[in-house]
Amino acid sequence: MNNSEITKDEIMAVYPKIAEIIAAALPCEVEKVKLEASLIDTLGAQSIDFLDIVFRLERAFKVKIPRGKIVEEARGSLSQAEFEQAGVVTPAGLARLKEFLREVPAERFPSPLKVADIPRLFTTETFCKIVVRQQRTGAATPAPATA
Amino acid sequence: MGRMDAHFRAFSFVDRLTCVEPGRRVRGRYAIPAGLGHFPLSLVGEAVGQLAAWAAMAAADFKHRPVAGLAGRIELLQDTAPGQVVELAADVESVDAESVQYSGEAHANGTPVIRLTDCVGPMMPVSDFDDPEALRARFGALQGQPAANGSFPGLPELAFQRTGGERGQRVTASFRVPSQAPFFADHFPRRPVFPGSLLMHINLQLGAALAAELPPPAHRRWLPATIQDMKLRSFIAPGTSLLLEARLKQHAQDSVCLALETRAGNDLIATARLLLRAGGER
Repeated sequence: MNNSEITKDEIMAVYPKIAEIIAAALPCEVEKVKLEASLIDTLGAQSIDFLDIVFRLERAFKVKIPRGKIVEEARGSLSQAEFEQAGVVTPAGLARLKEFLREVPAERFPSPLKVADIPRLFTTETFCKIVVRQQRTGAATPAPATA
Repeated sequence: MGRMDAHFRAFSFVDRLTCVEPGRRVRGRYAIPAGLGHFPLSLVGEAVGQLAAWAAMAAADFKHRPVAGLAGRIELLQDTAPGQVVELAADVESVDAESVQYSGEAHANGTPVIRLTDCVGPMMPVSDFDDPEALRARFGALQGQPAANGSFPGLPELAFQRTGGERGQRVTASFRVPSQAPFFADHFPRRPVFPGSLLMHINLQLGAALAAELPPPAHRRWLPATIQDMKLRSFIAPGTSLLLEARLKQHAQDSVCLALETRAGNDLIATARLLLRAGGER
């Protein structure tokens, strides 16, 4: 399933609730949580906030969002070695990432891009798309704990 | 107490693991040293967190461990007393190299004293904080004979200085994290971090100070009942100067809700909401 299949209507259907969740997690005023807002650069999110947001999304939308899901899905058919080398995203990986994160303006992708810096690209819309994808795949039942 | 002597003594609150299913569930107990003057409920919460950490570390083969994190809901049910044995339980909902998600509770004399729900801890490389092999050995030892009681030496004084506010609406205070304290040798040997449970302890006192300025409920007092959405956003190093704020959010006939915020400079370090309920006799 690719990004183009996610419609604006689908995104806007979940956006108000997701904006509310992000605002509560950071915390900030919900009006600041624009669809295009970068969670780190615009809203000041830190890594613990991403865990918090994902956890709240799971509870609110009754979906399971495996950790590292965004990067894993962004990688698509590329192997890990094709996607990144020594912690830096390869040119092929970067092209794949730009395709996957279409909501992020091209000028926001630095080159080289460290894998650890990928979350800096994430916007509110990125999280809307994750939820829509997980809703579609019907991952409504929490997976059992695994080691 | 030397650094090695303090490891697993100065800030460790699991004496024995009675049931371990790594990554799933863990049970254990802690005997509160009888010689202490006081053992705050926030440290019982720490004990539950440490119990869950053992299950998470075992599941991660002692390569990763949870450090700090967030708690969706902490119910403060009943005070504990020195000399009591606390039965600890934690159920792990998920754990991987990035995070552990768990809930847990503690009982004393068969009565629940604290309950933690929807907790998430970021998993960090163990070797940044502690000796993985020492942890592995301790994990094995805890499943054998219980550790000697009375290891915890008690807390140093952790008092905040009130700096301002508006009566009944807001209290601000400063708190300087000690540069040195016995618990840093245990939390953690390779990278000392001020425990979130101690920050919670201080914030509960600040919340109580604000609640004391509100009209008391009829014939009763405001008692801390629940901490909601507690989140530690950064590790707090020894010697850090913190700015604390408790702010009134809601005041009803039999309940009060406060917002708690902790900053270091302009950085928001920790947030939580504290619910107090009318209870006890005045």
